[in-house]
Amino acid sequence: MKGQLKALLATVLILALCTFSLAGCAKGDGGAAGSGTGDSQAKDPYIVGAVLSLTGSYAGLGAPEQNAIEMEVARINEAGGIKGHPLKVIYEDDGTDPAKAVAATARLIDQENVIAIIGATGTGQSMGMRTEVDRAALPQVSVAGGTVITSDFDPLVFQTPWSNSLVVPYTMAYLKKQGITKIAIVTDTGGFGADGQAVLKAQAPKAGITITTAQTFNPGDTDMTSQLTKVKGTDSQAVVMWTAGKEAAIVAKNMLQLGMKVPLYGSHGNARTEFVEGAGAAAEGFHFAAGKILVPESYGEGTPAYEVATDFVKRYTAAYGKAPDTFAGHAYDAVNLIASAMGRLDEGFTSEELRAEIEKTSGFVGIGGTFTFSATDHNGLSAGDLVMYRVENGNWIVEK
Amino acid sequence: MNSAELLQFVASGLQNGAVYALVALGFTLVYASTGIINFAQGEFFMLGGMLAVAGVRAGLPLPFAALASVVLTASIGLLFERVALRPRRDSGPTVLIIITIGGSMVMKSLARHAFGPNELSLPPFSPGVPIVFAGASIDRQVLWIWGLTIVAVVALTFLYSKTKLGRAMRACSLSHDAARLMGIDTARVVMISFGLAAALGALGGVAVAPLTQTAFDVGSRAGLKGFAAAILGGLGNPIAAVVGGLVLGLLESLSVAFISSTYKDAISLVVLLAVLFLRPQGLLGKSRREKV
Repeated sequence: MKGQLKALLATVLILALCTFSLAGCAKGDGGAAGSGTGDSQAKDPYIVGAVLSLTGSYAGLGAPEQNAIEMEVARINEAGGIKGHPLKVIYEDDGTDPAKAVAATARLIDQENVIAIIGATGTGQSMGMRTEVDRAALPQVSVAGGTVITSDFDPLVFQTPWSNSLVVPYTMAYLKKQGITKIAIVTDTGGFGADGQAVLKAQAPKAGITITTAQTFNPGDTDMTSQLTKVKGTDSQAVVMWTAGKEAAIVAKNMLQLGMKVPLYGSHGNARTEFVEGAGAAAEGFHFAAGKILVPESYGEGTPAYEVATDFVKRYTAAYGKAPDTFAGHAYDAVNLIASAMGRLDEGFTSEELRAEIEKTSGFVGIGGTFTFSATDHNGLSAGDLVMYRVENGNWIVEK
Repeated sequence: MNSAELLQFVASGLQNGAVYALVALGFTLVYASTGIINFAQGEFFMLGGMLAVAGVRAGLPLPFAALASVVLTASIGLLFERVALRPRRDSGPTVLIIITIGGSMVMKSLARHAFGPNELSLPPFSPGVPIVFAGASIDRQVLWIWGLTIVAVVALTFLYSKTKLGRAMRACSLSHDAARLMGIDTARVVMISFGLAAALGALGGVAVAPLTQTAFDVGSRAGLKGFAAAILGGLGNPIAAVVGGLVLGLLESLSVAFISSTYKDAISLVVLLAVLFLRPQGLLGKSRREKV
């Protein structure tokens, strides 16, 4: 009987491991759903692949990204495409899993013959795809925020969100201005949080800020009072949290529960209405740095950036019934950076020519800011594209 | 570390532990009556939270939405057993276990389509400031989680030891054939145990949603933790499931306190493996030496 029991336990353990890898395995809505292909046009379409997290823990980011891309592709094709060539985007769901992002990229390259790739939604996924992108030597425009994507430089890889190496110094300068010199950091163990933790630790001495304790949590954790109790036992003047997941709201709520009086600072990963809804009263006074799209007036009314942003907000809201978040904006920038580079090239261009043309982008007014790429900077944004937000009565207010 | 901090760590561990326990109870119930592990158990947890949010959004009062969600999830559990598992019940445990994995993927995908990819919020059962006890502050919702767990355990223990249905369930766990020969409708017992397991999972999902929000993908992690708790305690016995859940929760929380938050999950899994090597039947499980 004992042998049988052991066999059962062994089966059960193997199955447990299977469920690990199955987590987020369920396919979302037909990842390969086509977009406006503009059948009436005779010319061959330009095919771009998009690897997005439509399921898994970043599903809340991938969905608005897909919305924005679909909307822009339809707009470009209605206006006659790119020199008569319709733009076609083929979507793949990576389930917030780096391994699946790699497989999806390989499929797009080998079976769909894409000329460029948008994605992935997450930093870990974007990095995982790199070997495939290098193999095929085609341009990748990532919509993930980890610094490593462009700091671990690859001439093929571009990035539209503000990278952590931009946002961390901006946030630290703001903290310093508030007289805060001792911070506790709480980060997730996923790609974005791990990247944020590394950049925070690297930048803190330069900014004259001491990190009292560095706590982490895993994506999917449901209670952070243990980590925050550790933080509470230090003399930190503020808690800086770096995560893009839904756990951010739990951190805010647990701080309120523990009666912690120090302010909580987040990152551009928290620029989501779901965070404010989830944290409720605990979100009040929460600070985070992000681009200006959340409050388009901060671009400066009448400026080209303001026009681009309000037009995007208006069309997105009309199409999807809610205002776009920053993630939709990153995807808007990615698809338009690629499309505008295509438009500047003669027909029949190669992947390498497209890559070189994207690199020549200068003064492109997008949602994340004004992009100017160079041979060494594939993020192309500057601190001037950021503002500090504060949550007040459940709304985002621009901190002066 | 002072005593208030220690108490806070313990409270946090017991809070997570109680949720693990509710999920573990579902694993235990199904295992007891069928001998299989139901990997869709985590999805019942997810459905509990999501259906309650849907109920509140449809305008139902919170207690009613919570209750309706538990009842509805229980019906889904019954239906799942009847439609997906019963037709293959003679195929052996491996096939049935794989069917439950398939079922979990179907439920998750359907939830993703029905409720969207974003996290959803449920209002707290009794809003108010946290309760401070000897320096540790405890959210009011946590008291609900603890209370509901205790009620579930007491009710299950009563069911197992005092009712005809409970005796039928225990008989099934020993031998299906013998139980059937004694005139027990084993198919009905199995179906009811799936319904109860679904209800327990849903109860956990509803109780924890106000604290953590819920989303279509919370089931995998809940299932994994609940499964670990069930194995740790010893499959097949409700008290063992609860002990397993609480021990697992405490292990995680105390790992943060004394070692590192980065390794808390690894530490609790190492302890789980160690227990399995030393006591394969779990902390409280009886070693299975059946009389013939």
